[in-house]
Amino acid sequence: MTQHIENTVFPPDYDLEQEYSEVPGRDGQTYLQFASQMTTFYKQTYGEHSRFFLALREGRLIGARCPVCGNVAVPANTWHCPNCDFAEMHEVELPQRGVLAQTAPITIFPNSSFIGDAPFARGYVDVATDAPIAGFLPARLRTTTGLVRPGIFVKGLELKCVFEDVTVGRIRDIFWVPLREVPEHLRDKQPLRASELDFASPTPPAVAVTEAGRASLDQALSALQRLAADVGRSARAQKDLLGQQSVVGVKTSGGDFGLRVVDSHISVLATLPAEVDFTIVTEDPGVFTRWVHDGSLTDAAVEGTLWLPHKEAFQLLPILDRLPRSTRRDLRQD
Amino acid sequence: MRRVGIVGAGITDCRSRWVEATFWDLFQQATRRACADAQITTSEIDSVVYGIYNDIFEHQAIPESSLTGIIGMANKPGVRVTTGGATGFYAMRAAAAEVASGQSDVVLCIGGEKATDCYDPRSKTATPMVVDTIAKSWDPFYEYPLGATASDSYMQVCLAYNDEYPGDIDDPLVRAKIIEILNHAGNRNPHAQRRLETVTAEQVMASRWIIAPFLRLLETCMYTEGAGALIFASEERAKEIAARTGVPPVWIKGIGAANESYQPGRGGNYKRLSRIDSDRIAAERAYAVAGVKPADIGIVELHDAFVAQLMVTMGELGFVPAGQTRRLIDDGLMVDPRSLRDDERPEPGKLLINPSGGLIFGGHFVGGSNMFSTWSCRREMIARQIPLGLIHGTGAINACYGGAVVLELGE
Repeated sequence: MTQHIENTVFPPDYDLEQEYSEVPGRDGQTYLQFASQMTTFYKQTYGEHSRFFLALREGRLIGARCPVCGNVAVPANTWHCPNCDFAEMHEVELPQRGVLAQTAPITIFPNSSFIGDAPFARGYVDVATDAPIAGFLPARLRTTTGLVRPGIFVKGLELKCVFEDVTVGRIRDIFWVPLREVPEHLRDKQPLRASELDFASPTPPAVAVTEAGRASLDQALSALQRLAADVGRSARAQKDLLGQQSVVGVKTSGGDFGLRVVDSHISVLATLPAEVDFTIVTEDPGVFTRWVHDGSLTDAAVEGTLWLPHKEAFQLLPILDRLPRSTRRDLRQD
Repeated sequence: MRRVGIVGAGITDCRSRWVEATFWDLFQQATRRACADAQITTSEIDSVVYGIYNDIFEHQAIPESSLTGIIGMANKPGVRVTTGGATGFYAMRAAAAEVASGQSDVVLCIGGEKATDCYDPRSKTATPMVVDTIAKSWDPFYEYPLGATASDSYMQVCLAYNDEYPGDIDDPLVRAKIIEILNHAGNRNPHAQRRLETVTAEQVMASRWIIAPFLRLLETCMYTEGAGALIFASEERAKEIAARTGVPPVWIKGIGAANESYQPGRGGNYKRLSRIDSDRIAAERAYAVAGVKPADIGIVELHDAFVAQLMVTMGELGFVPAGQTRRLIDDGLMVDPRSLRDDERPEPGKLLINPSGGLIFGGHFVGGSNMFSTWSCRREMIARQIPLGLIHGTGAINACYGGAVVLELGE
């Protein structure tokens, strides 16, 4: 979604060259394939959903309440109650706070329309909490504390609805953040706008340096030095890093260091560099030792043991994850 | 209602991609094999029910229209069923009703999918586009724009179940051990997509994340190109065909179905996220019609879209209590087919679950996946002399469609 140019429906890089190409079959025969598409453009009416989306444009959240059973349709997606012989429902203004109905899944491998957006969380918010019967609102979930990870969006979490600064009339006009992350003076503000919260500079978690951490970091650093040297001799690994350039600060319970990726090489910096692109944090320096031994930094980030400030940082990890395997293939086995 | 028997079955090889065939030929292959199995010609078939889930995969609206002639169904009644992941089940339900009602005596029930012709121009692979095509099953107002996929939707249900019943499906080792057994099953299925693979629990738990914190790559079903066909017949015709083939009919003893509301919520008729009520209600209905209970059943072919969902579903089907589905492994209820001879049935109290390898190792050509399951269940019931089996299907957002069929081995 983020990659779309906002004033076109069809992403411009989302195209395929005209092609009629041969493809080998398992039977040894040659087959032919053609590039094509099945696209339909729409000017789709929101119809009876329009009132809900018109309200979003105005910074309001509405539901439809049944006078018979008290059911509140959230969002207001029908105006006749299916529980009560289709009794007519009436518009109600909903609070801009809610409760996460169930622990939310985090998408790591997205569909083609959301490549580059992962990881992201979506879930269902119970908004009409006073109603005896209520629908849950499908919700985009965001945190101001860095990359989304398990343990944040759990069942029962109190949430605050946030409106994008510019609302156009779509479900992505709003998202929800943990109420505890919203400064107290903003918690009752309606609508609260995205620019009133700080998503750009999350505070890294504090880690205390311990003796055990130091020992673990020594081990990690020597493993990392070995990997850096191996990358210098591995064509595959250098290809993995092609075009990458970043200086990453690393804070651990064993102390701080840095990783520099430049010119298809990686180097380990003994101290936290003064200028970094971003800083990552882990209690456990063993994360890096395990990475060098074919573990995964991506997994550590997904599982929450490695803290990242943002999605851009996340994009580097799968590339780094390839290095141990690439060096092994070039240097140990071939 | 007339008694309905299954007297023939045929499936194609399950492949990640068939460049050698379009869905036209895949459906013809399955028809040929089913007819050969039942020793009938298409002239003996009265009507056809097609299970094809998704027009976008087939790259054709009304895809079944192009099949009519080439699978020998010209000038016969034909109807297509499309109900998401449960398409195969609902096609079988429609075909059974066609026979039970007396409208037809012999029905071809056929389903399949050609999914991986889809291609994502950005990643230069098929999968993200396949995932996106399935995600188009979600509405364009509220769900699709948030990045909904089949995986995260099913994981939403599993996480909600886990909120309710912690300590059950959240143990990655239990899930990985189920994968190992399914792997062994897939190795025995001559048509399985991953029949040559060996996957260990360690590899499962180290495979990359799809949806955190419950779904890794090796815990998900595949996309398969292929087709499966079944021949349904009235009692009279079934006995006649069975006499011809020497293979007993497998009777449809009970069918149950239920679809939950699309939208989750609290109370009323909203979908309850923490359970798969559709599976439970469908199974209860099928058991009631059949007059059986879960303990009578020796084999289950269930729709294992994801291994955590397999566990939840086994609870809903009544084989283990909800919240204690890990007993499948802890108490050894799920039999490793490697521990049995090919003609041996599991001891009482134990179950063969997805001896086909299921949708994770066997095959998952969506519109025909439940025909694939039925092909396997019938095969195993006959080979092992298992009196009762169960087929399960699920589909749509948050697993809200459910279906169950009780099968009984004939004389």
